[in-house]
Amino acid sequence: MEYWSWWIGAIALGLFAVVYGFLAGKPLGVSGSWMRIVNWRSDKELKEAETFFKDNQDEAIDDLMAETLAEFGEDVADEIKELSPDNADTDRAKTTTKSSYTPAGAHLVFLLAMVVGSFITAMLHGGFEIKFELSELHSSMSGQTWEMWAGLLFGGIMVGFGTQMAGGCTSGHGLSGCAQFVPASLFATFVFMASAIGFSLFMKLTS
Amino acid sequence: MKQYIIYAILGILMGFILANIGYANYDEIHKMFVLEDLRMLFTFAGAVAIVAVARLITLGRLPKQNKIMQPGLLPGSMLFGFGWAITGACPSLAFVQLGQGHVPAIMTLFGIFIGVSLYKKVHERFFMWETGSCSSA
Repeated sequence: MEYWSWWIGAIALGLFAVVYGFLAGKPLGVSGSWMRIVNWRSDKELKEAETFFKDNQDEAIDDLMAETLAEFGEDVADEIKELSPDNADTDRAKTTTKSSYTPAGAHLVFLLAMVVGSFITAMLHGGFEIKFELSELHSSMSGQTWEMWAGLLFGGIMVGFGTQMAGGCTSGHGLSGCAQFVPASLFATFVFMASAIGFSLFMKLTS
Repeated sequence: MKQYIIYAILGILMGFILANIGYANYDEIHKMFVLEDLRMLFTFAGAVAIVAVARLITLGRLPKQNKIMQPGLLPGSMLFGFGWAITGACPSLAFVQLGQGHVPAIMTLFGIFIGVSLYKKVHERFFMWETGSCSSA
């Protein structure tokens, strides 16, 4: 398969990141999608609690006030009113913050759809073929078959753990963050690229 | 439902673009990392430049990336770099490899799943610092 030249790829990838930003309302970041999917249970609980609080704001504030008075005594009631005059008594301002919440399911659809996009590419370039290796070069560097599978498992754990620890990946830090000259992203991108280059050179020398 | 359709279209587009650039091909990734062929490195740098210019043209209306300097930045990025060199995959490329018919990518995806789950537990138990991870919602 013949790949796009660097400038066609750059235009396509760059424009895609821009379109993603406008349509999704947030910068492109795949490790964030992973985090949302893997932690969908706590994410769901948080969303339910948020919705419950929004729907029952007055009751929740009354409950909190009752608990506060029970804990600290009636004397603090006047102090609380002074601190939050807008929220006192019946004149409560409702929060009207715009929510940009994306369900974990939509993040999962996004990641799985990448398989489809890649599959379409394969079909357009001579057809789809099942392969039990990444490449001959990869297999030759990995050693025996079980070593290749184990290497991919541990490599995958490093990718998953590392991107969460760094707070981003190639798309979040590399593409979105670097384009906005965010210092943390520039640093992270330099480190993960340098680490990948260093380790690949080591693999090449030792294989 | 609309959100799901938008994300499906975006995912298909991303998979299509990454596969056509060659990011799903381990040999191309390896050639980039051993500095034998810089085509994909230029592609990446060019894409970053285009997003930066788009941000200037749209007067900063593109969503802001909130990444922060935090203690996990150095060790996390190093781990990610090593993992990428071994698997040829970042968190999105494993899906693109699978779409090209590479069955072993399933193992990489399984590993990433374990890594992300494991980090949540380790972070809550030991680290507890703010990571500013990709998309907050």
